[in-house]
Amino acid sequence: MEQSKQLIGIKEYIAIVLLMVGTKVTDNTPTILFEYIKNAGWMAPIINGLIAIFPIYLLIKVFTIYKGKSLLEVSDHLFGKFFSFIILFIMLVVAFGAVIVDTAIYTDIIGTMYFTKTPTIIVYGILMLVCAYGATRGFEQIGSVAWTVFPYLQVSLFFALILTIGQGNTAFIFPILGDGAWEVVKESSLRLSLYADFLYLFLFYPYIKSEIVFKKGTWLALVFIIMNLSIVMVCYIFLFDYKTIMQLNYPYHELIRTISLGFIINMEAFFLPFWLIATFVRFSIYLYINAILFGHLFKIKHFEYLIPSLATLIVFLGMIPENPTFIIFDIKEKLLLMTSPLFFLLPLLMWLVAMFKGEFKNANKRNIR
Amino acid sequence: MLIKEILGKFILVLFLLLFLSGCWDQKEVEELAFVIAIGIDKVEDKENKVRITYLISNPEAGSSAQSGGSQEPPREIISFVADDFISSRNMANSVIAKQITYDLLRMLIVSEDFARDENFIRWIYDATKSMEIERDIKLLVTKEESATFFQNNKPLLETRPHEYFEKILATGNEMGTIPESQLYQFFRITEADADLFLGIYGTTLKDENIQTSDDPQQITAGEFDFQGESNLTQFLGSAVFKEAMMIDSLTIEETRMAILLNPSLKPGFFLGTIPDPFDEKYRIAFRMENASPLKFDLKLTGGTPSIHVTVPLLLEVLSNHSMTGYQKDEEKRNKLEQSIEDNLNKEFNDFVKKTQEEYKSEPFGWSLLARKKFSTISDWENFDWMETYSDMKIDVDVQVKLGKFGRQSDLPRIEEIRD
Repeated sequence: MEQSKQLIGIKEYIAIVLLMVGTKVTDNTPTILFEYIKNAGWMAPIINGLIAIFPIYLLIKVFTIYKGKSLLEVSDHLFGKFFSFIILFIMLVVAFGAVIVDTAIYTDIIGTMYFTKTPTIIVYGILMLVCAYGATRGFEQIGSVAWTVFPYLQVSLFFALILTIGQGNTAFIFPILGDGAWEVVKESSLRLSLYADFLYLFLFYPYIKSEIVFKKGTWLALVFIIMNLSIVMVCYIFLFDYKTIMQLNYPYHELIRTISLGFIINMEAFFLPFWLIATFVRFSIYLYINAILFGHLFKIKHFEYLIPSLATLIVFLGMIPENPTFIIFDIKEKLLLMTSPLFFLLPLLMWLVAMFKGEFKNANKRNIR
Repeated sequence: MLIKEILGKFILVLFLLLFLSGCWDQKEVEELAFVIAIGIDKVEDKENKVRITYLISNPEAGSSAQSGGSQEPPREIISFVADDFISSRNMANSVIAKQITYDLLRMLIVSEDFARDENFIRWIYDATKSMEIERDIKLLVTKEESATFFQNNKPLLETRPHEYFEKILATGNEMGTIPESQLYQFFRITEADADLFLGIYGTTLKDENIQTSDDPQQITAGEFDFQGESNLTQFLGSAVFKEAMMIDSLTIEETRMAILLNPSLKPGFFLGTIPDPFDEKYRIAFRMENASPLKFDLKLTGGTPSIHVTVPLLLEVLSNHSMTGYQKDEEKRNKLEQSIEDNLNKEFNDFVKKTQEEYKSEPFGWSLLARKKFSTISDWENFDWMETYSDMKIDVDVQVKLGKFGRQSDLPRIEEIRD
């Protein structure tokens, strides 16, 4: 909506990115990494983070030419209307697929770990209702909510980790290289799309206060995320050892019900609300991303109004698989593999096209549209 | 405008209350029966069934919340045959009025008979399926059927069962008479397939034909002979699990050594006795603790793998029945130190040898140290710790430092008094 054009600052931006990507460590993403990389799974975020520098750097390079334009406009400009439509459509399909799969997984977490008797549709419905409400409020609102809740989430996470280290055993991290150095690098880089969210961040380019803020924010967020993800995954190993962790569906939720603080044995009741808030913010952003893409592709100007219908669609699509723990896990694994080349190649392609079109040379003179 | 806003928020908050109650999963504490321990036994002739016993605690009994005069018992026990301990909940509710919940479950108790069964693993893994069961609950093994165990267990002072078990297990851990025995450790060790797991061993039956052995520390559950007016239950020693099957039990002393030799456990202050070098008739009581962390020297590649363990212990001598004067005589102190060291060395090495020969694996968690020597999982798995362990050259070296000699360090000479 036009009226909401206050731009967001670096704090809010970093908080948004951290909630988008960092929250992944609390669902089954670590399980997928541990399954293939065993006890060296914690290295995957670091290795992928180093590889991700390359596409992100290229993207930033391209975007600095077009001041204040989002991924949509830049893509339209670089590839022409037709190819841009195809590319953005693929991005929409991926984003929509990801949000269906992830919301189904989060619903499954809530359903199997906490509310076993509540019907799935109710859990799913309420989850999407809250997220849709959050998303319709607009990007700036999500940003300020993200920043407001972020410190609490981070503190609660580190509180959990401190308790974990107290009860865990650091020796579980050995043999340090897992299946061997080459295997680790190979298997992790196949799952580069752990950071694919960064590609979608460029949709928000016009909402960010300035170019400097965006650049600095993106790099800082990447560093924080790498640290967050790998530290948390190391802690999982400390508590469970690799053989066990490969079998756990949701390590974070097993962790918070294993740890105890003195006489307080049911700690999960304390951590659940924080995790829920992070979940709400995360899916609000995802919904918003989907709405932006959808609105642009099908020329709907007030794309915020799409969000409730998208959310409803997600609930019904997400409810289809009978057995989320197996089917959705499988889809998520495949999605993680398939998106990796997209995340790596699209920035490269954009940069190459910009290069051949001579955009870098004329950067100062040109002004698209 | 302002009123509208406030009213709007108020309505929203009221609306939220509907959801905050937890939807379908809302439960009133009053309506629940809290199972604090589940017993699992084998059923004769039926391999696919188990006998489940529930120990249900009455949270009101004995607390100040109990309204005056009500004489409700502190516990309820029900035992029946079922397919597993998940579906058994509904069956129990045909007798128990309140809804059965595992929210406060703290223990799984299995009979020795069942723990030694090769099918034990199939049932114990049910605990990872149920969403209410926490991973840090304790695993206990009882000599008799667990149903009998629950019925015989009548604590006199701590009548509320959850309180009783919490206290007795915590005290036992601290004294080193029983191991920690957490369920997730059991799963971890079973899955890693390298070490032995030690579970808590207990019973309510006294072994009828015990001979008072030379060393009162060399006893296990059921062998502690006591008289008086107390509960029959005793938790002593540990049940040894190899590949999720119980294979043997350890005495108090062996349990203590297993704790002392485990680098990842923090042992407390253990009391023990040892023969007096100055008069073989008597034994010296001592209190020992780890003076500094254990030192390990592992050589796993090239030739026979060998492990050299240095155990620095700080000992306080607490009794002196031979009434030897250590006060002014350094030589006597050295002799005492040497003799204790020799004794402990022999005990530790004998125990390690026993694990090598009888169990062919160790309960000390040493495989975790060995893992550091390998850089990849396949190297480690090819090394096959459990297979290699029995042929290793293991050498435990106890280094004793004598601390205090009790509160009053000197005693009168017996010769002077009886002259």
